[in-house]
Amino acid sequence: MPTDPKKRPLVRDGILVRSIIATVLVFFLVGVATVTFTAYATRERALQESDRRLAQLLDTVESTLRIACFVRDDGLAKEVARGLLSNTELLRVTIDDGYESLADMQRGESGAPDDTASAAAGHNVIERDILSPFMADQVIGHIRLTPDPAVIAQRIHDDVKLAAIQLGWQLALIAGTVVIALLFVVVRPISDMSNHLHGMDPTAGDRLPIPSGHANSEIGRLANDVNVLASRLVRALEDEHALRIRREVDEKKYRAIFDKAESGIFIVARNGLLSEWNPAFARMMEISSAETYRGTLFMGELPWEAPAEIAELLDNILADRCAANHDVLIKRRDDSRRWLNITLSPVGDNLLQGVVHDVSVLKAAEAQALLQAVTDPVTGLDNRTGLESHLQSHIKDQLLNDQKGFTLLIVNLDKFRQVIEGIGVPAGDEILRVVASRLSAVVKSDDTLARLNADVFCVILRSLRDSVTIENIVGRIMQSLHQPYIVDGSPIQLTASIGIAIFPNDGTDAPTLLRHSELAVDKAKGAGGNSSVFFAPTLAESAEQRRHMENDLRLAIRDKHFALFLQPIVDIQNNRLSGAEALIRWRHPSIGLISPEKFIPIAEKSGLIIDIGRWVLESACQQLLAWQRTGHDYSLSFNVSGMQIPKGLPPESVAEAIGRYGIAPHRLALEITEGILLSDVDEALAWLYGIHALGLNVSLDDFGTGYSSLSYLKRFPVQTLKIDQSFVQGMENDGNERSLVQAIIAIARSLGLNVVAEGVETADHLRLLRAMGCHYAQGYYFSHPLPAEEFAIAEERIAALLDAPA
Amino acid sequence: MNLASTFIVATLISATNAVDVARADVVVVMNAQSGVERLSADDVTNIFLGRYRRLPSGANAIAIDQPTESGLKAEFYRQLVNKDLAEINSYWARLYFSGKTSPPNQAATQSEVLNLLARTPGGVAYMERKQVDARFKIVLDFSP
Repeated sequence: MPTDPKKRPLVRDGILVRSIIATVLVFFLVGVATVTFTAYATRERALQESDRRLAQLLDTVESTLRIACFVRDDGLAKEVARGLLSNTELLRVTIDDGYESLADMQRGESGAPDDTASAAAGHNVIERDILSPFMADQVIGHIRLTPDPAVIAQRIHDDVKLAAIQLGWQLALIAGTVVIALLFVVVRPISDMSNHLHGMDPTAGDRLPIPSGHANSEIGRLANDVNVLASRLVRALEDEHALRIRREVDEKKYRAIFDKAESGIFIVARNGLLSEWNPAFARMMEISSAETYRGTLFMGELPWEAPAEIAELLDNILADRCAANHDVLIKRRDDSRRWLNITLSPVGDNLLQGVVHDVSVLKAAEAQALLQAVTDPVTGLDNRTGLESHLQSHIKDQLLNDQKGFTLLIVNLDKFRQVIEGIGVPAGDEILRVVASRLSAVVKSDDTLARLNADVFCVILRSLRDSVTIENIVGRIMQSLHQPYIVDGSPIQLTASIGIAIFPNDGTDAPTLLRHSELAVDKAKGAGGNSSVFFAPTLAESAEQRRHMENDLRLAIRDKHFALFLQPIVDIQNNRLSGAEALIRWRHPSIGLISPEKFIPIAEKSGLIIDIGRWVLESACQQLLAWQRTGHDYSLSFNVSGMQIPKGLPPESVAEAIGRYGIAPHRLALEITEGILLSDVDEALAWLYGIHALGLNVSLDDFGTGYSSLSYLKRFPVQTLKIDQSFVQGMENDGNERSLVQAIIAIARSLGLNVVAEGVETADHLRLLRAMGCHYAQGYYFSHPLPAEEFAIAEERIAALLDAPA
Repeated sequence: MNLASTFIVATLISATNAVDVARADVVVVMNAQSGVERLSADDVTNIFLGRYRRLPSGANAIAIDQPTESGLKAEFYRQLVNKDLAEINSYWARLYFSGKTSPPNQAATQSEVLNLLARTPGGVAYMERKQVDARFKIVLDFSP
């Protein structure tokens, strides 16, 4: 608008003009309607009143009229008519007696009345019957009064005019008041508000003033609403501004992250066009800066090893609409290959956002780990896992291609543990490596070699099941492994036991083949080692038997189906019974007595030996207590397995038992073998000292059959040596044996140890041993192992034997 | 009813003669030679009140009123149109003005009525029944 907004006039289409027009129009219509109604009503009223007045007029002259008509006196009738006409409202009066007119008079003229005038007077002519003055029901004439229409019209006109004038004044007054009220109450404030709004700057804090007197009116509320809206808009603007600033900051921050990220970040469209990527991505993909500027770079142009794979990946993600993660290989310009882990997630309909990491190092580590998982670190051969997978693939191969079968060898170095004890683990590892290289020299290149655990190797001989050839190869292996190994300049000789299982005869799956070849090698080892054994079904059967026995053994422990047998030990220097060795027997409910040689190995393998050992301790204590009570000073020894040392039979529990039974500790002796001392020296030593501290005796059993290191005798707190029965029995015929026994006895004596000779079966044995200065003897010569209750019989027999002259 | 009316009549007779006469049996009579045998009450009304003064034969009828004092006049108009004499006088007063018709001939005495009627063949008068003699003929009898 060109005019100054502050002084804008009331506009033509404004509220005021419209209101005025509307008011005037409404009032005009109301006026017209009112006047029309007034005219109608007035006319009706005037006519009614006219009728009423004329009727009244007629009443006043009725008696005279009756008389006039009764006697047909036209003079009297005319007189009455004239009198009636003196009323200005009447135009004409007609009187008749039923047959002829008595009077017919009209206003304004004395002559003949004008019929047309009467007709014009309209319908409202008053006509009345005239009754006889003497007979009330006899009509004797009629009178007709015609009112003057002009008079009525005049009256109507006057009434309407008055009503119109009154109404006009009233309407004009109301209209004026309404318009003025509108002007001051509505139009002015709105116009003022409008003018204010034009110049208002809400951001500067300008607000509409509330028009005076309008604090509680709609206009006041409108102004308030406008102000509230203005405040809200200002606040929204401020928020928007703050948001924009924050967005700019965020944008910068994210841009910095994007640019500096180590991960490659990119955005790619459905058609493969890369729209954005960060420097890290450019470095990974070797995108030159020229390409960056050119702006049209497609996914397919990047150096993927398999571009088709990438295209498929993009398609899948766009189709599935969910993020995916994939490892892909790229080929760099220097021909090196890098593994990238790429995470793609859809952004909107046609865009994908990708994050890329170089995972080459991880991949390499993974591959290394995978390799390590199947490789023995010492020899570089497959480990058990590797072997099993090889074995399985072999079997699969055999089944698919119907080949000739293959042979599985388990090669177990004999007594390798003892060797390690002597030379140390690093030297042992060195030997293992030599074994590996010797084995690989013997077998063919496509045969498989593996190391299953410490000293167990495994060979798969491919396409071979002919036993002669197998034996040939096995022989070569044994020969090769038998060659001396040079450790720290000294040669060490080893032997091996070999178990042989053939696919498919001895098993058609990897676990069975392995188990069977292991059974075979156990058999070979059991036979003393340095031999090879083909798997036979009987091996599996005996393994099965062992398993049965193990179950029975558990029951036996539960139900205490054991007995201690006692074999007397005789002091041959003083010719008296000194005590006994307690030997366990298993009273099997169906088989009968079972000797320890049969079930102790099983008990050792299954760990049941611990429970059995406890029972033996208890029973030995009971026996000693029984002797003590009957006044015997016998000693009692029992065997302790390597498996019980040190945890299975801790010195504390031995002390507890001794205390509980109240027996003299020096009467109880524990028999151990050299092997115990060889295994874990430190633990065994600690255990031995613990036992020794309790005052118990310790005997070294089967002395001479094993490693028999004399140095041990110094190191360990051992009080007694038990010479193995094989030496004693060999004494009679073999001079060497005899001197060996003599030497042992001499050494023991020199070390202050007692010597017990086992296996004394003849009087000659006894004589020799006694001559050699052996302290004690034990054997069938004196007695077989006996149940405790038969020990008294043995006592007597021995006493008799000792008394007899030698 | 009869007892009551007898009682009232006895009382009135003992009070005045006039009243006694007034309560007498009024009949409308005409000259015996008039040739008229009967007149209706309407005919008598028209003749005495001036509306139509002709006999059914077409001859003029001349009405004759008894003297007012006799009481017969008031009795007659009461019997005929149930009006008292004041009303009858008022009626005639209005008609005097135009002069178109006039009231009946007024006799001065009852005997004059008899004489007039005896001389006038078209005369119509009224009297007590006991006054009717051979010269007259009853044309309307009010008694049932």
